Amino acid sequence: MAVIELRDIRKAFGAVEVIGRANLTIDDGAFVIFVGPSGSGKSTLLRLVAGLEDATAGQILIDGADVTHLGPAERQLSMVFQSYALYPTKTVRQNMSFGLEVARLPKAEIKARVDGVADILRLGDYLDRKPRALSGGQRQRVAIGRAIVREPVAFLFDEPLSNLDAALRVEMRIEIAKLHQRLGATMIYVTHDQVEAMTLADQIVVLDKGAIQQVGTPMELYQRPANLFVAQFIGSPKMNVLAVRPDGSALVFADDSRADFGMPVPPSLAHIGFRPEEVQLLPAGQGHLQGKVEVVERLGSDTFVHVGLGALGIITSRMPGNVLTISQGQPVGLGLTMTQLHPFSRDGIRLS
Amino acid sequence: MSIVGKSAHSAKFRRNRWLLTAILSLYFIYTFLPLFYVITAATKSNQDLFSTFGLWFAADFQLWENLETLFTIQDGIFLKWMANTAYYSSVSAIGAALFATFAGYAFAKYTFFGKKLMLALVLGAVMIPQTALVIPMFLMLSNLGLTNTPLAVILPSLVFPPGVFLMWAYIDDAISNELIEAGRMDGAGEFHIFSSIAFRMLMPGFATVLILAFVANWNNYFLPLVMLNKPDMFPITVGLAQLYSTAISGTGGVLLFTVVMTGALVSIVPVIAAFLIMQRFWQGGLGAGGVKA
Repeated sequence: MAVIELRDIRKAFGAVEVIGRANLTIDDGAFVIFVGPSGSGKSTLLRLVAGLEDATAGQILIDGADVTHLGPAERQLSMVFQSYALYPTKTVRQNMSFGLEVARLPKAEIKARVDGVADILRLGDYLDRKPRALSGGQRQRVAIGRAIVREPVAFLFDEPLSNLDAALRVEMRIEIAKLHQRLGATMIYVTHDQVEAMTLADQIVVLDKGAIQQVGTPMELYQRPANLFVAQFIGSPKMNVLAVRPDGSALVFADDSRADFGMPVPPSLAHIGFRPEEVQLLPAGQGHLQGKVEVVERLGSDTFVHVGLGALGIITSRMPGNVLTISQGQPVGLGLTMTQLHPFSRDGIRLS
Repeated sequence: MSIVGKSAHSAKFRRNRWLLTAILSLYFIYTFLPLFYVITAATKSNQDLFSTFGLWFAADFQLWENLETLFTIQDGIFLKWMANTAYYSSVSAIGAALFATFAGYAFAKYTFFGKKLMLALVLGAVMIPQTALVIPMFLMLSNLGLTNTPLAVILPSLVFPPGVFLMWAYIDDAISNELIEAGRMDGAGEFHIFSSIAFRMLMPGFATVLILAFVANWNNYFLPLVMLNKPDMFPITVGLAQLYSTAISGTGGVLLFTVVMTGALVSIVPVIAAFLIMQRFWQGGLGAGGVKA
């Protein structure tokens, strides 16, 4: 069990800087998820922690000890790879015991550990099979098993579920959550899937363009995103954003329509954001903005209504249940609540 | 209008397939005829060899007699030549395939200083025929006092640039970086990863290079011709050529033409056998399962 600390970590491939000055502390036993679009540097950051990449500058500490220049195995971490990376010529048992054999553990202990982990992961019947004779989910469990038997100080997961189909992904997601509760180990998990991030994480680290954008609990990120990038990256459907300029207590939109909330508006306000569930659909003529329903998406549990606002773009509204009173082409009004608006400056930084 | 692809039932596909079969048949005849000539010639008496149709058997079937002559001539030196060829080619082939695998693995999986230059040198070396290098190599080995030893033939043959090129391309594809990284996370050293994880996955590539190097060495003529001058050290190629030259120049050597043909026939049997034995290693799919495509 371990506290992992990154201090001023930089990583450049030649002249290209992939990670710029990252500082992060991961608490003992925390489930931390690195999330971001492709090319954001999230996998590189994980590989730096793993020791598979050398940091260009900065320090990595595990439980206070500087491991920056140690190899992957010396850091006592385990990693689960996106492609599973099982040894194809070895059986499941050999796959799981390989690391222990390298560490020259006694045979009896290797057997006991592998059997124990196979039990937890329900792999007992497959121990003598080769990876190619297993299904995708089973292979993923073997990869996780191989990580567990080493009894590492922390687990690293690099997009472990992205090769699985949707149903299996949900199942494995729950298994990983249970595993974390059971082992209580520090886990760092990389994904581009924000649903995985929201459901699994104690802490989410949002990355973009090689920089940490925000660190916080899933609800902190959802309710108080630090900038426009986080605001739009977390949440599905994503947050609506409109460009505005303040005029006394009123907001003036790009098409010069006004919304007066009768409350003071920060003078540096340049964008407002609001979640799809924070915008109210009203009869035409009412509310702060007027538009026309362009697309209605019915999910059964929710109805997503995409309202075209002409020059302002499209706003998405989420309504619970199957709302039958809305149809395509219908003119509607949109009602906003000042206290629910997320204010952002011209640079996209959250105000207040 | 929708786009319709060529299917196995379309007229165009069938036409193309016939054309392909015709071209391949021609190619087959072209490659097989000389071999067939060797087979028929080995069954003839010396007189029949020149008086009967070359591409069919003569009435008098002389194969066993020819074989007997072949293996008894000059106190059975042909057997010695075969043993020499087998020794030179198997040691060279195993060595060349191992070095090619090491080099290919390094080129495919590591970044190191001068990698691009070295790769360019290997690719350039593929273009240079060994024949062009034999004389300088002779002078080098002669200075070391290694001519007229098996090493004179084996050492130069351990360098097999086409094999390096092949293994580089094969390993790049067959072994994922994540697999190597998984080994590193498990604490295995680089050579341990290579020997206990990667190498078994490389068997199809290794077998291919092995057989290519084996055949190249089995058929190598010029290198042993230059390096060796003791008849009991000759491989089959050089030995047969010597028999042939006695056949055309020496008195009473006329008898030897069919023996040379029989020797040629016998010398290709092990190569064909090697191909058949190694075939099962070419069956790919060893890497399937460990890494999701």
